Amino acid sequence: MIKILLNIVNTVRENKGLAVLGSIKSPDDLRSDLGLDSLDLAELTVRIEKETGIDVFADSFVNTIGEILEKIEKQ
Amino acid sequence: MKNEVFFVAKDGSVYTYERLFKNLEDCTSISHYCYIPDTYDILVHILLCILHGIDLVLLDHDFSKNELEALGIEPDVLKESIEVSSLSIVSKAELISAINGQESWKLTLFTSGTTGLPKKVTHRLTNLMRLVRQSEKQQQSVWGFAYNPTHIAGIQVFFQAIMNGNPMIDLFGLSKDTILGQIEGYSITNISATPTFYRMLMPTGRTFPSVRRITSGGERFDSSLAQNILQVFPNAQMRNIYASTEAGSVLESKNDRFTISDPTKSKIEGNRLFIHSSLLGVDDFSEEWYDTGDLVEMVDNASGEFIFLSRANEMINVGGYKANPLEIEEILCTHPAVIKARVWGKPNPVIGNILMADLVCNRDCSEKEIRGFLKGKLQDFKIPRVINFQDDINTTRSGKIKRV
Repeated sequence: MIKILLNIVNTVRENKGLAVLGSIKSPDDLRSDLGLDSLDLAELTVRIEKETGIDVFADSFVNTIGEILEKIEKQ
Repeated sequence: MKNEVFFVAKDGSVYTYERLFKNLEDCTSISHYCYIPDTYDILVHILLCILHGIDLVLLDHDFSKNELEALGIEPDVLKESIEVSSLSIVSKAELISAINGQESWKLTLFTSGTTGLPKKVTHRLTNLMRLVRQSEKQQQSVWGFAYNPTHIAGIQVFFQAIMNGNPMIDLFGLSKDTILGQIEGYSITNISATPTFYRMLMPTGRTFPSVRRITSGGERFDSSLAQNILQVFPNAQMRNIYASTEAGSVLESKNDRFTISDPTKSKIEGNRLFIHSSLLGVDDFSEEWYDTGDLVEMVDNASGEFIFLSRANEMINVGGYKANPLEIEEILCTHPAVIKARVWGKPNPVIGNILMADLVCNRDCSEKEIRGFLKGKLQDFKIPRVINFQDDINTTRSGKIKRV
């Protein structure tokens, strides 16, 4: 799953002109570590939903890669 | 007086009132147009224009050359400036009284238009300051500045703060941790922002007792967000504002239910909200009542309470900014590979709506290529974040596509 997530994060980063990352870790903060702003986070949710069918921001805000993985695994 | 804070910038730089007075004094020429990036400089520019009685046109700094041309603004006029004599203001009281003396001063802003062209709205100072509350209590306020300073909501916060001599701490576009750090560090008492802004702060894991007043506006408000906000800011009173660039703030409520507080200023007809022309900009006196295009639904006939449903026109609310799908579709179609384009808003928990584009192209195209093409032609929030390539699009605007 983390690989799929890495691809999605990289798509969002590439679209805004940021470098592609080699890896991501659970504690990575979506904003401060991965450089995503609110528009990017919205884009991220749509792409994750497309891939997994899960809206990770539906009931509460998520801040880290680990929190996204948790929500996906819970379903 | 010496160290009283006027403004704290995004990078943490502190500008005192003393520094502001010096900047006002040192200025010898001003442009009739404000097209600059830094919020402090924008606020100084606004004050200079008011104090010298020079009407001002406020432009978003990320407007592209194409967007400016569409507004009828040639690049050369942005460089023109007017020579002015030195100002001598040495106290907040003098500043406030000098602002009050410029009642006929006019400010022009642009709202996202409904036909593809932004609409020009000009307000008199008296109208912009209509809802400013001045009192001894207000003089103790410390404002979190969480709007774009070139938009009406930011302007209204600016006047509320400056007319009480308050400090403003810039929170707009900062990261969650920095925002929370500033709220605590400067003991911010008042924040006015969009629901998207508050949503981005949650969860905080701690409380901020200094905040006394939370104002929300620009987007539809939901009650679960209100509960979260009150947990984080336990001493805050909440206020929900209905406002527009054409009229500024019009209605106020403690939740998502509004009532018409002054029937001579606003009314509901055929489930649409109308605003009286006396609240509108100076060029807008053609009809007595202005149709906001916002659809409402009565929820309690006895008390006259109503809620907002959606806009009758097709503007898409992206984190409090209104994006016009027609404008974006037009620009998309200038890409050599694009044959047909449809832009729509998909409801999104982070920013209200995310812009999606469906495209029909005459060759293989990538999202990256399209996004790169739009960059520099449109403001960032107007660029569709997910692009679908399709064989065909039914371009009639059927009810299937949800545009909020």
